[in-house]
Amino acid sequence: MSKIVILGAGISGHVAAAHLRRKLDKTHEVVVVSPNSNYQWIPSNIWVGVGRMKSKEILFPLAPLYKKKGIGFKQAKVTSFFPEGDSETEKPFVMAEYVSEEKRGETEKITYDYLINATGPKLNFEATEGLNPGTNKAYSVCTYTHADHAWQGLSALIEEMKQGKEARIVIGTGHAKATCQGAAFEYILNVEQELRRQKVRDKAKITWISNEYQLGDFGMDGMLLSYGSNIMKSHEMVEMVFEDRGIEWILGSGVNKIEDGIAHYENLDGELKNIEFDFAMLIPSFSGHGFKAFDKSNQDITEKLFKGFMLVDADYTPKPYEEWTVQDWPETYQNPNYKNIFAPGIAFAPPHSISKPRKSPNGTEIFPAPPRTGMPSGITAKLVADNIIDSIKKQKESLDHKGSMGNMGAACIASAGFGMTKGSGISITTFPIVPDYKKYPDTMGRKLGKTFGEIGLAGHWLKLALHYAFIYKAKMRPFWYLIPE
Amino acid sequence: MTRRISNFKRFVMMNPIIQFFKFIFLSIKVLLIVAGGHGGTRKTGY
Repeated sequence: MSKIVILGAGISGHVAAAHLRRKLDKTHEVVVVSPNSNYQWIPSNIWVGVGRMKSKEILFPLAPLYKKKGIGFKQAKVTSFFPEGDSETEKPFVMAEYVSEEKRGETEKITYDYLINATGPKLNFEATEGLNPGTNKAYSVCTYTHADHAWQGLSALIEEMKQGKEARIVIGTGHAKATCQGAAFEYILNVEQELRRQKVRDKAKITWISNEYQLGDFGMDGMLLSYGSNIMKSHEMVEMVFEDRGIEWILGSGVNKIEDGIAHYENLDGELKNIEFDFAMLIPSFSGHGFKAFDKSNQDITEKLFKGFMLVDADYTPKPYEEWTVQDWPETYQNPNYKNIFAPGIAFAPPHSISKPRKSPNGTEIFPAPPRTGMPSGITAKLVADNIIDSIKKQKESLDHKGSMGNMGAACIASAGFGMTKGSGISITTFPIVPDYKKYPDTMGRKLGKTFGEIGLAGHWLKLALHYAFIYKAKMRPFWYLIPE
Repeated sequence: MTRRISNFKRFVMMNPIIQFFKFIFLSIKVLLIVAGGHGGTRKTGY
């Protein structure tokens, strides 16, 4: 009998738990440890942030589902890792502190045979002075509560605009090394459409601010894609959309401080500038959770498990951008020092960024961190679960399931406005996620045909269909496993 | 110079009948790309 403990119940942790429970018999224990009581379908937060969806439509409570499916659930946050056990406990364990009402503050050693760290990122608002969702007129859509606050702020501004107020709206990244440009990109287009729907578009100046060197970088170094019968670069496509929507842009900018209605930033020319706003939605930087790890004699071994995020089978040797290869990226997400620990999704430490690193003359690094959200999180979680299942069944380590981001496709179905007849979406697929410049030297590291873009109403329908399909899947309704990650 | 979306293109983008067929096409194409497999990169001929 094996006990598999999964830390986190986001896309990655939930996918791993669901597959493990389905494929392992009940003699094996599957336990999820998460401080969150609800599962949330994060990609739909942008619709909550423009008031077109209620937060209750994108979440459901985890405890009843896990109870029904035979998955253990502890509403607790992990504080430290003991991969060798300690002087009292032979088995490896994690130390967790409960956050649920009835057990708040209690701690527990949770032992395991296999550990999946799917804790995702810490939303590192503290890295940008004054960036705190709901204060200084700046908001976030990273969680459903943040998105609710963002809609409250935006709807109040819309009411003022209906009274004649002229407003400036700033949306983008809130830190020089932030990632998740895609969410901000979706949000700015949805806000623009909402202002048109509310008939106040002429009262607003909308500005995109980002740490990307070019539009359409999305933390993936941009891409060459097929668009209808044309072949264009992603920056040309996004420029076309922003131009069409009357959205201005500021690029290569690292926001470093927020004051009431003012964002201070440094650009790649080293200039220190600021922009005023009446409403801003800025994505924070992501960081690891600052976990500590200890060996059997209680010595600190954090560096064997973490480098900010968790160390896995990537090549972390520092090397210049020109020498980066897809082989640097992990295949199995297994920690090299403790073979029963895995970190899929956003929890693993990437070997380096995907976008070309750039510095301002002042030495400030301004470029996007690599995105690992959504689809790759689900795919990597499933392959980790499959390797653990095989290892348990074969009673020896099995790592046959591999999924490097350098040999994996992803789809970004970006909402560009909500509405069954007036909505719009920008559907972009890319293969591979990490460009393989050796295999596809003439097409910016990507396979054309599998890397394409489409704009139109169908994109909105597709995004909406995916919303319902993935919530169905997450609720583990009949045949949920037929829906791919 | 920034490309512009032409009026004809805009009509195609927002026409529900054309977009219904586009929806079917996109769904299949996205499914084939993302469910079309993934793997490692460290063996030759991956």
